[in-house]
Amino acid sequence: MDRTRRTLVVFLALSFGHVLLLSVQVQSRSGLPWLQAATFGVFARVQQVTDDLSNMGRSFWSNYVALHGVVAENEALQMKVLDLEGQVQAQAAIASQARELERLLDLQQSVAAPTLSARVIAGDPMPGTMVVTINRGSADGVETNMAVIGHAGVVGRVINRPTAHAAQVQLLIGHNAGAGAITATSEAVGPVHGGAGTPPLALDYVDLLRDVQVGEQVWTSGSDGIFPRGFLIGTIERVVRGSGSGTYSEIAIRPAVDFANLQFVLVILAKPVGVGGGA
Amino acid sequence: MKVLLTVAVALVLQMALARFAIGGRWVFDLVLVGVVYAALRWGPVAGMWTGTIGGLLQDALGAGVVGIGGLAKTVVGVAAGVAGAQFMVARPLGGAEMVAAATVAHRLMVLGLFAVVDQDWFGVPWTAMLIEAALNATAGLVALHVTDRLPGAVRETRARRRPSLSRRNW
Repeated sequence: MDRTRRTLVVFLALSFGHVLLLSVQVQSRSGLPWLQAATFGVFARVQQVTDDLSNMGRSFWSNYVALHGVVAENEALQMKVLDLEGQVQAQAAIASQARELERLLDLQQSVAAPTLSARVIAGDPMPGTMVVTINRGSADGVETNMAVIGHAGVVGRVINRPTAHAAQVQLLIGHNAGAGAITATSEAVGPVHGGAGTPPLALDYVDLLRDVQVGEQVWTSGSDGIFPRGFLIGTIERVVRGSGSGTYSEIAIRPAVDFANLQFVLVILAKPVGVGGGA
Repeated sequence: MKVLLTVAVALVLQMALARFAIGGRWVFDLVLVGVVYAALRWGPVAGMWTGTIGGLLQDALGAGVVGIGGLAKTVVGVAAGVAGAQFMVARPLGGAEMVAAATVAHRLMVLGLFAVVDQDWFGVPWTAMLIEAALNATAGLVALHVTDRLPGAVRETRARRRPSLSRRNW
């Protein structure tokens, strides 16, 4: 058999193997958990090392090279801290009033779930998959389907099986991502899904009769069993009534989180309720 | 060995750099650049294996169906290798053009396969695809240029260096 024919045979065999692999997953739609876990297990360590190296470079740059204008920046930050301290005190006052009201009304006090801070150590392995890697894993208590938030709002959820010191997070703006949501004023309830274009989030199944307004905030409803109620998803940017099927409004949402600048996140260490494992 | 090394370097670079471009307009696929690089440097067989291994690893590290990227990159790797041999793509600029063409072909193939598997068509994001083609081509140009120049630069540096005491002619 000559070289060209042998190459052709190997190429056809590989292509057939890929098609077979795809057809196995079409029914389950869950990928290949064992292959994904093994690959991630190997690459998580490499990502940790590259992240450490990149941080060393960045730290050298910011600590020794880029110190111009640091005095002015320091003054601006001090002013900002002062402003934020005032805001924190105001919030604390409101919270104490709320606690007092809860006590008076004999309500069960709302318990905030414990959170764990994590650093993003790697981005999309393939363009468009919207998956990042964080430096916390099963040894830190991270489990599949746990919710991940940022300082501005919802980031996504943990997918696949985490390794001891790393986990993969599917971002809310990804094609297959979603969350139960509720609008702040009109109280329209529905699922938010990612990959909707520009802006990347969309709220589905909201009745045409609901008076949903542009600029309204959208929060997690807690109905999905992954994201606890009350975390900010984003702001409504566009409402189109009467298009498509004609039964529901088309609602586009601008995410609260700046996904292009994602460095630190918080994992909510509450076990998901009634959600199956896997991706 | 060189195939595995190309895949490993491309994948680590992709994941290290992509964290600064999540959800933004700057889309790039350095593994695809690695596939075309291998195909142009070492022929269609190397392109095919780089595509298969690189694509499957990318799929496994992502959240989706395993095999879509693998199949698309395998086809692109072979096609780039064959085209590279046919058209004698020797200069880095020609290689960069090949990377851009491969990016468009790869993206269309991935979209088509997703449509078949997911039974859902998202449309062709032309702007994102063209940005990806431009960025990939730039990365390919840099990689081909650097690897073209590197052996010569090393030789020149060695020649310029003073001979050591043991080899000096007194």
